[in-house]
Amino acid sequence: MTTPRILTPPPRPRGRWKPWLALGIVAAITAITASPQLGIAFSLDAIIRNWRNGAGKIIQLLQPDWSVLPRTIPPLLETLEMAVIATAVAALVSLPLSLLAARLTNPNRVGRGILRTILNIVRSVPELLYAAVLVAMVGVGALPGIIALVLFNIGIIVKLVSEAIEGNDAGPIEAGRAAGGTQLQINRAIALPDVWPSFANQTLFVLELNVRASTVLGLVGAGGLGLLIDAVRTYFRYDQLSVIIIEILVVVVALDIVSSAIRRRLV
Amino acid sequence: MRYPNGVVALDGITLDIEPGEMVSVVGLSGSGKSSLIRTINGLVPITSGHLEVGGRALETTKGRELRRLRGEIGMIFQSFNLAGRTSVLNNVLVGRLAHTPTWRTLLGLYRESDRQIAFEALDRVEILPKAWDRASSLSGGQQQRVAIARALSQEPRLVLADEPVASLDPPTAHAVMRDLRRINQDLGITVMTNLHVMDLARQYASRLIGLRAGKVVFDGPASSATDKDFETIYGRTIEPEDVLGA
Amino acid sequence: MSLAIPTRPRHWWRLALTILVTIVVIAAFWAVDVKWERLLDLPAEIARYTWLMFSSPNWAKLPEALLQTWRSVAMAWIGTVLGILLATPLSFLAARGFGPAPVRAFLRGLFSVIRAVPEIIIAIIILSVTGLTPLTGALALAAGGIGTLGKWGYESIEGVPRGPIEAVRAAGGSTAQTIRWGVWPQATPDFLSLWLYRFEINVRASAVLGLIGVGGIGDMLTSYTQYREWPTVGMLLIVVVIVTMTIDAISGAIRRRITDGGRVHELER
Repeated sequence: MTTPRILTPPPRPRGRWKPWLALGIVAAITAITASPQLGIAFSLDAIIRNWRNGAGKIIQLLQPDWSVLPRTIPPLLETLEMAVIATAVAALVSLPLSLLAARLTNPNRVGRGILRTILNIVRSVPELLYAAVLVAMVGVGALPGIIALVLFNIGIIVKLVSEAIEGNDAGPIEAGRAAGGTQLQINRAIALPDVWPSFANQTLFVLELNVRASTVLGLVGAGGLGLLIDAVRTYFRYDQLSVIIIEILVVVVALDIVSSAIRRRLV
Repeated sequence: MRYPNGVVALDGITLDIEPGEMVSVVGLSGSGKSSLIRTINGLVPITSGHLEVGGRALETTKGRELRRLRGEIGMIFQSFNLAGRTSVLNNVLVGRLAHTPTWRTLLGLYRESDRQIAFEALDRVEILPKAWDRASSLSGGQQQRVAIARALSQEPRLVLADEPVASLDPPTAHAVMRDLRRINQDLGITVMTNLHVMDLARQYASRLIGLRAGKVVFDGPASSATDKDFETIYGRTIEPEDVLGA
Repeated sequence: MSLAIPTRPRHWWRLALTILVTIVVIAAFWAVDVKWERLLDLPAEIARYTWLMFSSPNWAKLPEALLQTWRSVAMAWIGTVLGILLATPLSFLAARGFGPAPVRAFLRGLFSVIRAVPEIIIAIIILSVTGLTPLTGALALAAGGIGTLGKWGYESIEGVPRGPIEAVRAAGGSTAQTIRWGVWPQATPDFLSLWLYRFEINVRASAVLGLIGVGGIGDMLTSYTQYREWPTVGMLLIVVVIVTMTIDAISGAIRRRITDGGRVHELER
């Protein structure tokens, strides 16, 4: 027969209030940012008031004007060309930089630190802002768009590939060093073969990002579909806008499918 | 020598190793075996004292001189350390890095004579048919043989082996140790091996060095090392895992 | 002596792929309408503009810049919160084991479609209803967020180890309870991490949305760029970089804390 015992559970851990505090902070920030005085005036009645205004445009969107299709082809091609060129240039430049940014392949701490800081700074600016400033510098056209994309890409590829390198085994590199190779030789003969899958993966990823991004670079004059989009929306031809949107959708989704297939074969 | 974190790995070691010897270094983990073998090709720099390898003083050898010296010293590792995603041949050619100008490495254009050396090294360890296979597709024992071929292709005067068979099953381990003994006897290359099992250490070497807590506690012919000596080296009684068997 | 050297294998498809890629790249270079000679002038021009922008940035406009930055960050915050609120239930419905197959397929397709459309275009559509206000920006970011948060969400849910889920179900738990006790405790670190990452992305995107006039720092940047007031542009770029890097750093630190489990001292008692 068991007699009932008085159970003394262990003391509850401290700090259970932390998640609630975090939630409270989030709620507070949200309230502040949504208020009209301090924030962005999240008001439903603005939406309700303008609804009829917008409804007409939405209906226009749903009735695509296919006659504009031939006019969209040259800018679409330019968009794709920009994306391809930017990806190729960025890939070429990023490969050595990725090796320079990883500890395994570049033991020089100072050099690595400087490179990483520069890349972090470059990565902080969205590509469209680069494009806007570059257009003012070199003029309208595809060139500023390509340069903006390249800057945007290098930041991404180097970060992701160098992180992948750091996850690799240091053993083979030690073997290369023991055999008397220079760092450059070791990187080329030993580190590089292990880097390819990650590099190819990120390059494909960046290609997709580029196609998507270069569709709108034209909004600041940097070439591609963006220019047409701007023209179309200024005249409120939302029915033509929807054709362009559908085009973008088709291209991006198709590219997504193709690149997924390629990636499966790569690994 | 003392590591940056303060640990003294090697304490007052005085050793003289003659060319052509085959030496086993034994001791528990932490006894300094790994550090000792890595000081010889400078992977771990000594912090005090004097070390001379092949007539060169290691404390003062740096840069290109050091690489040239390393080119004459082959090294094999417990985890094989092959570049998995590339071919066996490319891995063996790593042994020729010290003798190849950088531009050739960058373009992947090795000299025909270097490739010939690599092929011959692969042939010597009897793994030539696998020359074009991807290194990661080989078994453990095969990978270690490729590693030996890599060391051989350096045409070294000295081969260092850091626990070369610790990851292998007994029959394969014996095969690898036989390969090492063969290159010592047939090619006259000095071989220095770290081992963690007693029977391999006694069977395949001419000289045995025992380390304990960074100091040499045994140094003599391998055949004369008794179990009692091993107890001194290990600082404890012999246990079953100290013997490989087979 | 002759060795039996095996023949070198030829990977024909790898060669074909390389050739194809090279052709595509060369074609792109050739077809695009760019005067490549301009590239030669480029370094000098960039040097000139860089000097114009950063030699003495116009700090007088800093207060205005900070105000606009606050607007952009507020846009990003609301956009992220809204996106989370909308996307999370959808993620569950789209995950295997929680939603019926046709619903899952539809939602996944929806996420793909949304992800394909750049946020700016979403903003252009929305502004017909809500006008050129930061609210438009926030809504556009929220809508765009549904695509990425939705996809990451269901991938995360599906990646959760099944054990605890089965345990709750076996004990007779309803779907809501399964989610609360089976999925949620395991997926939370992932989710929080993704949400913070999405916030980082939105901060960048909010600067961009300013370009079409919804307000925020992008707005200010385009105006001053068009007026070619380089010292102000330089100052604005510096502000953007510092703010973005700071938010990235804070968010990154929080994310690391979350995935590493934070400090363990709470469990020591």
